[in-house]
Parts: sequence; C-alpha cells; structure tokens
Amino acid sequence: MSREEGSGYRDVPGPADDTGALVSMPEGLERAHPSVPELQARFDEAFLRHEVVAGDEHVVFVAPDRIYPVLEWLKTDPDQAYNFLSDLTAVDFGGGRPIQIVYQLYSIPHRHVLRVKAEVPLTDLEVESVVPIWSAANWLEREVYDMFGVRFRNHPDLRRILMPEVYAEGHPLRKDFPLRGRFSRAEQTRRALAQAPEDYYVPSDFGPGRDFQVVGWQEVGGEPVPVKEVATKGKAPQPSEDGSSGAASGDRTSS
Amino acid sequence: MSKKTIELEVSRTPEMGMDFRPAPGPMQPVDLAEPDLRAEKMLINVGPQHPATHGVLRLVLELDGETVVRCLPHIGYLHSSFEKLGEYRTWNQVIPLTDRMDYLAPLIYNCAYAMAVEKLMGVEVTERCKVTRVIMMELDRVFSHLLWLGTWAIDVGAFTPFLYAFQEREKVYKLHEAYTGARITTSATRIGGMMADMPQGWDVGVRKFINELPRTMDEIESLLSHNAIHIGRTQGVGVIGAEDAIDMGLSGPNLRATGVPYDVRKDRPYYDYETYEFEVPIGEYGDCYDRYMVRLEEIRQSCRILHQALDRLPDGPMNVDDPRVILPSKTDLMNDMESMIHHFKLVMEGVKAPPGESHFSVEGSKGELGMYVVSDGGSKPVRWRVRPPSFVNLAAIPKLVEGGLLADVIMVNASLDIVLGEIDR
Amino acid sequence: MTDKPIIRETPGASGSGLPGGIFGEGTPTFLTTKVDFVVNWARRNSLWPMPFGTACCAIEMMASAASNNDLARFGMERMSFSPRQADVLICAGRVPYKLAPVLRRIWDQMPQPKWAVSMGACASSGGVFDAYSMVQGIDTIIPVDVYVPGCPPRPEALIYGLIMIQEKIRGESLGQHSRHRAEDPADVGRPRADAAEVTALSGPFGNSTNQNRASGLVPGIPTVRPGDRIP
Repeated sequence: MSREEGSGYRDVPGPADDTGALVSMPEGLERAHPSVPELQARFDEAFLRHEVVAGDEHVVFVAPDRIYPVLEWLKTDPDQAYNFLSDLTAVDFGGGRPIQIVYQLYSIPHRHVLRVKAEVPLTDLEVESVVPIWSAANWLEREVYDMFGVRFRNHPDLRRILMPEVYAEGHPLRKDFPLRGRFSRAEQTRRALAQAPEDYYVPSDFGPGRDFQVVGWQEVGGEPVPVKEVATKGKAPQPSEDGSSGAASGDRTSS
Repeated sequence: MSKKTIELEVSRTPEMGMDFRPAPGPMQPVDLAEPDLRAEKMLINVGPQHPATHGVLRLVLELDGETVVRCLPHIGYLHSSFEKLGEYRTWNQVIPLTDRMDYLAPLIYNCAYAMAVEKLMGVEVTERCKVTRVIMMELDRVFSHLLWLGTWAIDVGAFTPFLYAFQEREKVYKLHEAYTGARITTSATRIGGMMADMPQGWDVGVRKFINELPRTMDEIESLLSHNAIHIGRTQGVGVIGAEDAIDMGLSGPNLRATGVPYDVRKDRPYYDYETYEFEVPIGEYGDCYDRYMVRLEEIRQSCRILHQALDRLPDGPMNVDDPRVILPSKTDLMNDMESMIHHFKLVMEGVKAPPGESHFSVEGSKGELGMYVVSDGGSKPVRWRVRPPSFVNLAAIPKLVEGGLLADVIMVNASLDIVLGEIDR
Repeated sequence: MTDKPIIRETPGASGSGLPGGIFGEGTPTFLTTKVDFVVNWARRNSLWPMPFGTACCAIEMMASAASNNDLARFGMERMSFSPRQADVLICAGRVPYKLAPVLRRIWDQMPQPKWAVSMGACASSGGVFDAYSMVQGIDTIIPVDVYVPGCPPRPEALIYGLIMIQEKIRGESLGQHSRHRAEDPADVGRPRADAAEVTALSGPFGNSTNQNRASGLVPGIPTVRPGDRIP
C-alpha cells in the first residue's frame, strides 16, 4: 500500500492489520515518561505496548480485562496520583477492527499526562467500569455506551444518555452507522413524536436495570433488522420484530 | 422533616471571615416549627423548556417537603451529532462546527480545535498568530463570563446586571464581527493560522473595550457582591469539597472555587502563557458565592492578559508558510506551477493530517476543554472528540443539590455555568 | 371540521342588509373592517413571545431583548415562558428528535390565536446538521408562519421577522377566522406533515449530498464511512 513516496505521510495499516491506525514514532524520539516504566514493571502481563504520538503524548495499551487494577494503581499510588480523569471516550476505526477505549488521565499534584487505551473486540464489547475510581467516569461511560455500545460492568446506572432511551437505530458513532440514521426521516419523525415528553418521570421509569437496547443490526433484504439482546423489565416498549414500526407506537398516539 | 430542614439551614451558613466576605444580611434561619408530616415524596420536573435551565436541560427532582432528596438530570435534548458530522467533514470544514458547540465562547473552541490538529500535523504557527489567538481566547473568556453573569443575576432575581452585561457583550459582538464577519459563529481559525489578518485598528478596539470594562464590572459588582439577597441565596449553597470536586472531574472556575488552583494555562502552558503575568483566583468554601467571585476575578485577570498580549503583538505573517495547510497567495498561484498544484490539492482534497492522534487541552471558559483528534492519513478525521467541560461539571449537580432546598437548585445550576450545546454535542 | 364556520344570521342586527349579517362572510362589512382593525391593532402590538430557545439563536434572541435591540419597542417586552399565555412561538435553535415532542407539546399548549417563528437555519431546515439526530426543519412538526434565515440571524433579522408577523396579523379578519386558525384537535401530538412531505422536506440538498465520501480521495484508505440510504 505504499504511495506518495517522500510526501511525509506514513503508510496506513490496512483493514487486516489489527493494530489500529496508530503509528508509533521512531525509537529515537521517544522520551521517558515518569509512570510508564514502573507501570510496565508492575503489570507486565497486562502491559501490551507503549507509543508516543504527536511528539510528546504517551499512550499505553493495556489488556481490557486488566484495565481496572491498572487504573486503580495509577490513581492510588502516591508516586503516580492520576487523580483527575480528564476524558473517557472510545474510537471506532471501522472495518471490523477493535474499538479503543481511551482514558485520558491527569495528575494534578505531579502535572503528568498519560493516556491509557484498551482495545475491545466487536464481539465482546465489555470492560470493567471505573466509576469506583473516579466518579467523573459515570456520565462519560454512559456516553460511550450510548454512542458505541460498549458495556461497562458494575456501572451503577448504565443507560443511554444523549439519545432517547427508546432509540432503536443502534449506536451512532460506530463506523457502520449511516450519517442520517437507519430509518427514513418520516419514520424518525413519527417515532420522535410518538414518545411522550413526560416519559421517565417516575422513579420506576428511570431507575436502572432497564435494558431494551438494540445491540446490532443486520441487513435482511435491504432493510435493517435489529438483532436484539433484550433484558426488559417493567413497561419498557419492545423494539418490534421488523424494526420499522412500533418501539413506542402503541400507547401514546394522542395524549 | 422540619427539624432536618432547620439543621440544614443552620449548617448552610458557615463561619465567615468578616474581612473577605460580607456577612449575611438580615436573612437568618428562623424557627419553623410545624407538625411532623408523613414523609411523602413529590416529583417535580424542571425542563427541558424552562427559563432557568439555561437551555434544554431537564431535571427530575424528588422532594421531601422543600428538600431535594434526589435529583436526576436528563440531557441529550440538544444532541446535534457534532462528532459524527465531524467524521464526514474535512479538517478545515470541522471548524464551523466547533463554534456552534459552545456558542458562548466560540473563539476558544475554534482555537482549541486548530491547536489540536496543528499538534497532530506538527505545524508550528507563527508568533503573531499565537498572540492573536491568545487575545481571542481571553476576549471570549470575558464574553462568556459576561453572559454567565447576566443570566446568573436573572436567576438571583436581579434584572439590571443582565442589561449591563449585554451592553458590554454587544461591544464584543462588534469586535467579533469586525474580525470574522459574524457575531457568534465566528469560524475564525484555520489549520496553520487564521482566516485573515486582523483588520486595521482592531487591536485598538479591543484595548478600548478592556479599558472600559472594569467600570461596568465595578457597577455590576456593587449591585451584587454585597447584596443581602444575593448573599443569602448563594453563600453556603451547593457546597462541594476539593477532593470531591476532583473526583467528580470538575474543572475551571467550579474546581477553583473549592481551592484547587488547577488551571491549564498555568499547569500545562500553551502559547507562552507562562510568560504572561496573571493570577489564578481560587475560592475557599466551594459554594455558589465563591464560584461567582472566582468568575468575576477571572474577567479582571483576562483583561490583564489582554493588555499584555496587545502590548507584545508582533508584526509578521499570520499564517505559516507551509503548502500542506495554507493556500498559496494569488500571485504565486498565477505564476507558479507548484503553487497551482498545491492550491488544487488543498481545495479539492483538503488538508491532510498524518496518521496518528493528538489530545490538546486548553483552559476554556467553563473548564478544561480537550480536543482529541484521530487521523488515518486522510483528509477527514476518523474521530473528533471534545472533552466537554460543562458535561463533566453538570454530572456533579445531583451531589450539589441533594439535601438542599428546591430554590437552591436554580442557583446551583446557574453557578455551574453550563452550555447545553457543548453538553449534548 | 367543516371548512366554513357556522355563523348564525341574526335578522335585524345587520344594518347592511347583506346575507351573513354583520359578520358578512366574504364581503367587507362593519365588523370585518373596523372591528378587525381594532382587534388586529391590539393583537399585533401586544404579542407575547414564547421563547423556545435551544442553541446559538437563543443567545441572539436574548441580545434582541437586551438594551441595544430593545424588543419591547414592539410590544414584546414580556417574554412569556409559559406557553399558556403566549401568542407567538419563537423556535430559536436546532431541534433534535429528542426535543421534537416537547416542541409539539408546547405548540399544542399555546392558546389560539398563535403564530410561530422559525429562527435560524437549523430550525428552518436543519442547517448544517444533516445527521441522524436532527429534525430537518420544524415545519415538519408544527406550522410555521415566518422563517428567519441566518446562522444565527442578527437581532435585527429577528425583529424584522416579528414585524412580518405583525404585518400578517394586520391582514387577518374575524370573518375568516376559521381559515386562519383551523386546527383539528385530533392533530395534537402529531407531526404537521405527512410521511411523504417529511421525506421531501428533509432530503439532503446542496453540500450535504457530498457527505458520503470516504476519507479523502486517495483509494485504499481504510476508514470507510458508510453510505446513506438516499431515497
């Protein structure tokens, strides 16, 4: 795939390359990060690799099943003290490559920045929640769940946060999600107006434990069809079988 | 329930030093003896269309009498799919999206995004551009705090500061318009520079504005800072400690009001902020009044930075001389084949960033504003993520209002200085 | 609902001798000229706006109400934050689908007579936000009287749009009341446009149609952005 020799751009790893689109800097440019060597020594089995991007940004890849102890150590160890969770997000590169969960950490006492990443395969989108470590992760994890469909184990209240709770088109920031959504505009408008504004008003409505999310989509005869993994409690509206009608159409036509 | 309320009332009034903070006015907690009612919870829905939620925030409050026992914020009523749209835009086309995200301080967003992409591409902007961006960011910090001050005053029940603040804002609108042609949606930056050099006399206009601003600020402060109603409604309301605030991820004035001097401009300086003389105001009690005082002082400190930046504004080119990112001049375009090719490629394909990623944090008007861009080598971002300061700040609102009174919810919400366009993105 | 209002003819009450009495359906009479004038004069000079402000345009709407562009000069100093007392809905800012039922509910709660201003490009057509979560123009949800273009419109533009509402009120007539105001109660909570019209109104146009390109024009780029099902 080499192209544009001498243009200054590096080759892009192809879809078969499982390492994501990150290209590490040449060895000579790497500068030591105060936390990375000790992190590597302590969590050797979980430490996958270390990259330096954009000149001075250190990225550490950690095995997704060990992310919690690694981050807990980074927060509680007095020499690290990454007490400020600056950002928690995810990146989807498309093409079936794993989704990267990105933890952007900052240590207010030591003024260190570190980015920790965990790559989760599309078949098993689940990591441990870090809400016990930083409370700030609560909404950020909900947003990642909403936008990417990554589930966080032991999260206190894992619901959609930006999209409506009955949103049935999938997870918008995935690369396989079309820009204008899966349904036609007319269907989107109908569904939007079918939900009553006072939904999720009483505690049993907005309490945790409800999960009626569509987890995946497959094309059947040109129509998007939801693949459900639904654990529904209460009076949550079910996504219907054909995916084109009905999430909330039953009871709220005119109120 | 009544006993509990009175205890809360008493505990909400901390011991105050008479030197720094004016003592509370005649509003002392009174004995509200009433029969103990059966605990019956009541639900109140605030928003999404409510004048005091500063946009389309929705709060579901569970009340025990007048005490909030549970608060559940609902956001997403302004989710405009910025980050998805950014993946379908070229690098420069994303800039118009950034200022629609935080329409209270659009230039800070423009600059932060351009800085992140420039860091990813390894482009070093010129000195004049750096100082110009510092001027723009500090100007918009004042701009944003002024709107916050006006709406805060409305929420506390005073209308006059709103009018005063908007008169000052109109001057910034005119400065925006003189530079960029738009009052709010500025889209002022480009990768590698600015959309244009500043018009002649623009810096004089900025200087005139910051010379006149302190007088208005004194007037507003004389209306609010020692006002008994204002003090009674804000002191001791929405208290959060420093450790909790860091744990919740608060940043900006909300964090500094708790006494933590975390300011990205000081801790991780960019654009030579370490060479400017300014101070980071911090609070003591972490309540609404401290947040108010911190923001007032930040306006004055921004004026200091603006004075210094205007003094040191160097001459020279505004844009980098880099054909990868900046269009060649019209003369070169007509005379030079290579410039013609650069022009064609830049217009047809857009700026291309090398594969990689970059996270760049600046001190926005609301807190730490992070821009995270990921590139695969093409002319469009793979991922453009904004670390929204208000989003994280708002997540702390249940902690701030639970246990307080219903009337305090409005003040706490106003003191957080949220902007829904950035929270919901 | 019938197309025409049922107006009882009052014998002897009409000095005009025209069919229809003083209401004079279709023909200008006393009531439809002088009373119309008085009623419209009162209505158009005391419009109470319901500010449905969501985003950037709301800031400009606040600027219109503030000192420099004093909206009170036109009888609108009383921003009515309750829809029950409002006359004109100013929808300022982008409206996502999550907010659409709220907008419709507020419109339904406003008493007749009522008017709607769609302020800004996003409210009028979706603007730059041609994406999965955005309503492509609030005229798919509620009837709109005046569109104010701009991103965001200047306060002068909003004031001009409100003056256009006043001009529209000036031309209204009590005799044709039902034609101006007819709204089927069964339509409450429903979109204003039917499915075909929604599709026609929200189709991508202009630069939006080019949003399906992959990352750059160089072949072999790995990040493919999925195409859109354009009808």
